[in-house]
Amino acid sequence: MFEHKLGQRGNATSDITRRGFLVSMAAAGATFGFPLSVRAAMDPATADGMPVDAIGRAFEPTLWYSIDTDGQVNVNIIRAEMGQHVGTSIARILADELEVAWEDVHITHVDTAEKWGLMVTGGSWSVWQSWPVYRRAGAAGRTALIEAAAKNWGIAASQCSARNGQITGGGRSVSYAELVSAGLSRSFTQAELEALTLKPHSELRLVGKDVTALDIATKTNGQAIYGLDARIDGMVYGVPLLPPTRLGSSVRSIDDSAAKDIGGYMQTLQLDDPSGTVPGWVVVVGKNLMAAKKASQKIKVEWQAGDTASVSEADIQNHARELIADEGVGSILDTGVTDTGPVFQGATDTFDAEYTTATVLHFQLEPVNATAFQNDDGVWEIHTGNQWQSLILPSIATALGVEAEQVVMRTYMLGGGFGRRLNGDYAVPAALASKALGGKPLKLVLFREDDAKFDSPRSPSVQRLAMAFDAQQQVIAMEHHAAAGWPTGVMFPAFMPDGKNGLPFDPFAIDGADHWYSVGAQKVRAISNDLANRTFRPGWLRSVGPGWTHFAVESFMDEAAHRVGADPLKFRLDHLLANGRNAGSAPNSVGGAARQAKVLKRVAELSGYGRTDLSKDSAIGIATTFGQSRSMPTWVAAAVQVDVDRVTGEVDVRKLWLVFDCGTVVDPDGALAQCEGAALWGLSMALFEGTEIENSNVRDRNLNTYTPLRIIDTPEIEIEFVDSTEAPVGLGEPGTTVVAPAIANAIFNAVGVRLRHLPMTPDTVLQALQARE
Amino acid sequence: MIKLKVNGRDVSVDADADTPLLWVIRDEIGLMGTKFGCGIGMCGACTVHVGGQATRSCITPLSAVAGASVTTIEGLDETDSHPVQEAWRELRVPQCGYCQSGQIMQAAALLKDIPDPSDDDIDAVMTGNLCRCMTYLRIRKAVRRAAATNREANSNV
Amino acid sequence: MIKKIIFGLLTFVVVALIGFAIYAHEPEIAPIANVDRSQFTAETVAKGRVLAAAGYCATCHTAEDGALYAGNYPVETGFGTLYSTNITPDPEFGIGNWSEEAFLRAMHDGVDREGRHLFPAFPYDHFTKMSDDDVGAIYAYIMSEVEPVPSDQKSNELLFPMDRRFLQAGWKLLFVNFSRFEAVAEQSTEWNRGAYLVEGVTHCGACHTPRNVLGAEKKSEHFAGATIDQWIAPALTAENASAIHWSASDFSNFLKIGGTRNHGVAVGPMGPVVHAGVRQLPDSDLKAIGVYLAERAGAPARDDVNSEILKASLAKGKPQKSHRWDQGARLYAEACASCHYNAAQIALSRPDLGINSATRLAEPGNLLHVILDGVGNEDGLAGIVMPGFRDAFNDEEVAAIAAYLRSSRTDKAAWTDLSGKVAAIRAGRTAAQ
Ligand code: FES
Ligand code: FES
Repeated sequence: MFEHKLGQRGNATSDITRRGFLVSMAAAGATFGFPLSVRAAMDPATADGMPVDAIGRAFEPTLWYSIDTDGQVNVNIIRAEMGQHVGTSIARILADELEVAWEDVHITHVDTAEKWGLMVTGGSWSVWQSWPVYRRAGAAGRTALIEAAAKNWGIAASQCSARNGQITGGGRSVSYAELVSAGLSRSFTQAELEALTLKPHSELRLVGKDVTALDIATKTNGQAIYGLDARIDGMVYGVPLLPPTRLGSSVRSIDDSAAKDIGGYMQTLQLDDPSGTVPGWVVVVGKNLMAAKKASQKIKVEWQAGDTASVSEADIQNHARELIADEGVGSILDTGVTDTGPVFQGATDTFDAEYTTATVLHFQLEPVNATAFQNDDGVWEIHTGNQWQSLILPSIATALGVEAEQVVMRTYMLGGGFGRRLNGDYAVPAALASKALGGKPLKLVLFREDDAKFDSPRSPSVQRLAMAFDAQQQVIAMEHHAAAGWPTGVMFPAFMPDGKNGLPFDPFAIDGADHWYSVGAQKVRAISNDLANRTFRPGWLRSVGPGWTHFAVESFMDEAAHRVGADPLKFRLDHLLANGRNAGSAPNSVGGAARQAKVLKRVAELSGYGRTDLSKDSAIGIATTFGQSRSMPTWVAAAVQVDVDRVTGEVDVRKLWLVFDCGTVVDPDGALAQCEGAALWGLSMALFEGTEIENSNVRDRNLNTYTPLRIIDTPEIEIEFVDSTEAPVGLGEPGTTVVAPAIANAIFNAVGVRLRHLPMTPDTVLQALQARE
Repeated sequence: MIKLKVNGRDVSVDADADTPLLWVIRDEIGLMGTKFGCGIGMCGACTVHVGGQATRSCITPLSAVAGASVTTIEGLDETDSHPVQEAWRELRVPQCGYCQSGQIMQAAALLKDIPDPSDDDIDAVMTGNLCRCMTYLRIRKAVRRAAATNREANSNV
Repeated sequence: MIKKIIFGLLTFVVVALIGFAIYAHEPEIAPIANVDRSQFTAETVAKGRVLAAAGYCATCHTAEDGALYAGNYPVETGFGTLYSTNITPDPEFGIGNWSEEAFLRAMHDGVDREGRHLFPAFPYDHFTKMSDDDVGAIYAYIMSEVEPVPSDQKSNELLFPMDRRFLQAGWKLLFVNFSRFEAVAEQSTEWNRGAYLVEGVTHCGACHTPRNVLGAEKKSEHFAGATIDQWIAPALTAENASAIHWSASDFSNFLKIGGTRNHGVAVGPMGPVVHAGVRQLPDSDLKAIGVYLAERAGAPARDDVNSEILKASLAKGKPQKSHRWDQGARLYAEACASCHYNAAQIALSRPDLGINSATRLAEPGNLLHVILDGVGNEDGLAGIVMPGFRDAFNDEEVAAIAAYLRSSRTDKAAWTDLSGKVAAIRAGRTAAQ
């Protein structure tokens, strides 16, 4: 991609000399001869992002990798790298089965060619979904190589074995490199792949061990290349002017007269978007970014706003309450006996509570951006960091008025995903702006305030939970009604399954409410908040719905325990019975609720839950959740110790303990990192984040008022993984959901007040304390 | 033309005097390791050294660094083996990595001023650097490790 | 900056005495055809170069992007705009046809070669203290080393009657003591050297001494500090607001490197004074200035007291999680503390704002200016810059940071109308641009 390689070791200084020279010689804004067309794939381990070239004729047993005549293995990764070291995890699964040395393994994050199939990185699915695929792919290569060697030696394949890039058998040995050099072609049908024998767990050599992550080094020397770093020869820059409402706005007039004398300002484009992704957008174009930015501040645009222009957070939440009150709306999930009405009517005691959560921003550190141009072959190239290429590519094609084959996306490193880049809407205006300039390369940059305003935030939510008890204070029924904006509903409705009542639901907005507690009759109702959906684009944000459903369920379980005078830990364990639909099933949820009970018990032990030696207004709270969904549960339990200041209302989190059971741990250190990050996200959203919709847009747009957790707020954390040989399930998200309810429960244990809204700010703690007095 | 030194080399830049140093470094000079996060001096992604001091380049106008000496992540160490970088790799601090140039530049400056920082010191100085992936636990550890490396190196002299 | 302050003091005296004009009359001194440069020794020229720097002549006599000493620096005054004069050796537009005598008269008496009174924005009330030798050296330097520049002076745009030069004679009569410096016998040689420089060529009082309504320095409040354009030139007396008293070496270091560990850095109008000027004096002179100023400012406090103050301030600067719940404290912790935090001791490049002058002055101007516009490479400590938050924070946010520092890090009364003052300073620079 670059004219010369930035930062090959030892070369850095001469490189700078040359740049310094060029800068001195060139006029402002000059760019330096970057090629117009590039290979639409990235290797995060190389300084220029270029994938390694295969030496000789490579052997490709499956789509997923090749082995060259040097024995170097290049693994194709369809997932985006956004901090999870996903390529390292996936390549390791393959390399283990293939039996090659880690030093010989390289990875390539591929382009969006059709052969790769569905490209999405989210839902904590990557390792879980890749596990069977890449294991078989590795086994296929190993098998082919063994067979080739055996044939050469005239012995049976069963007499040969593979290890570390070598086949040995009958007293001889041969390297993969030699076998590939000699020429090897063997491909496998799906049926053949499925029939392959995989290595037993005990022989896994890379899975579960620490290996060098392939994306780390370039992330410590400034050479990792993110979307914002894309550079194409002749590139110009675009800065948008955003309409007053996300949907339904149109441009009345544009006056750029005040911008005309800004050096480098080129023109202002009014986008016409057949895909409907960015209605009412205006893009200011400049020779350099600052020219476009400065000009954008001087350009006056008059819009006709959409009909949500005055919508507030309170409007959305009140609308949610109305929807919940209307029994006729929403999708009922299949949770066994869902007819709870009669049970509640016959109950000795019932109680209910409402939980709410505020709008939350992604605030991924790299603001969204995209570079677009038409290459020499007439193909539209979109260079950006993205998590769900398959979702946005058709919209880009529609916007450009071309066939999907005419668009290719190159996925860069993501400066944070967290679900923001599942929605690739930001790529559309870049494509449209480039098209308006005749296919000229244009980098569209959203400055932070625009990024926040254009975010697909986590929807605010309202949930009503209810429980019924019999005369023995046994739980006989539970209801969970949850109303929020539905990301899948607005962006990919075809992805939504139907509920028991035949109505579709967004699993991302309700997962978690269908918990593993055995509670008798159980009704879970998912309600789409249409006002939210019309006002902003609800987003998938790190664990999405479970961020609010588990907060409600796990707070409510504590409340229920206290209602019947039971200890919350015992109360939970008494309902994690692993019976009926909660018994679990192969391959992903073997053991069911019993595994959840186990992590809960373990975290209680670790934390000393129930200790009586803590100081006044200090207490430990617990919670347990599973993620991402019942079909792929990672079992989590957390304990949190907090100190509550009754005077200021401040909640000081002293320590967090978490125990995870995610089946086989593929990448132990990476897994730990994901869990650390997820838990701190949970803490941040519990206490420090949250904004509000004001006049159709989020109120907080930058760090002067939006205040995520920082290093000083970071408590000590102790994390344990359950040893397991079960199928590996996802880890990116589960840790986020368990912290908020554990904190809420800890606050209750410390000072006796129940907080039912996220974030739990000092103000709300004080109000609750005052209300109790 | 405004002249300054970047990573030890003389550079003259023909850009408006009020252009933030960040965009000069990235778009005029072409060093992309320095990142943009907030543009208001509150995330630290754009941290470079000016005169050895950690400085938020997004709110530092080009005119302010005329004649000054700027070091970016690319110039921190010729072989990318500054003790802070080593510690960052050993403890696998980066997740998405986007904040890490800034974190590393800030940490390197911190250790120069406060060679043996306590956790309080680390928190105070590093709180200006947001990590949205929340790699804070490892940042704390890595700063301490880099400090220890420095101490060993010094005691071996 | 300094120019603006001095010229801002432009004033006049309404004296209608008949005969005043006669009193005010000064004869022309004949032009000279050529300066005989061979008469100047290299040492004299070198001395003149340093003295011209110490008097930061170029700061006032050079327009932005203009040639050195060619004048035309526009100065907004309450009475209109003044343009500084061309003092290059160009015979037509500069002072190339001035004899040394004419130059001496201008420096000592505030009268130009043609006999016209100069506006007191030109601090001849200080330069009059300088010895003939020193003034002559500056003359030698200008004539020998400054490039002649044939550029005309823009005419002043002053309102009547403030544009009448002869009225300046009355001002002189009232306020200026035209005499050379006289040593004070009971003080040391070093003190006297310092006093000579400070009261003469470096004209510190021009900023640090408050002025009367007619713009003259109040003799009775020598070095009591003054406010101009919402910058504060702090008192150089015992009233100085610093938490830690200035010692002689603090003063001389400050003038040499642009800052001290315990007080702050030279920024705003003081920036060019140090960097375009005084620092070029030989160390012995800077030391002498330090001795003189320290004596004026009162004896330095004992070190153990200082270390108590330092420790207390550093302790107050300790990070607190609860910072995030106060707007000013949070912004400080997240935007400022990465530099303005120290552990066991204060590093020179990490000013501690608890003891910093800017946090402790009666008015917030200096602090607000610096938060808004930072400290460039040409200000403060060489090579180190501070970013500016002008485009990052709104008035209320800047005010919150200032209020937080004031209340949490000092024992001083809260500043009033902070947001309003931020807005005024913000607008001030915008207007000047
Ligand atoms: S981009 Fe400079 S501090 Fe955030
Ligand atoms: S590693 Fe992603 S923002 Fe810090």
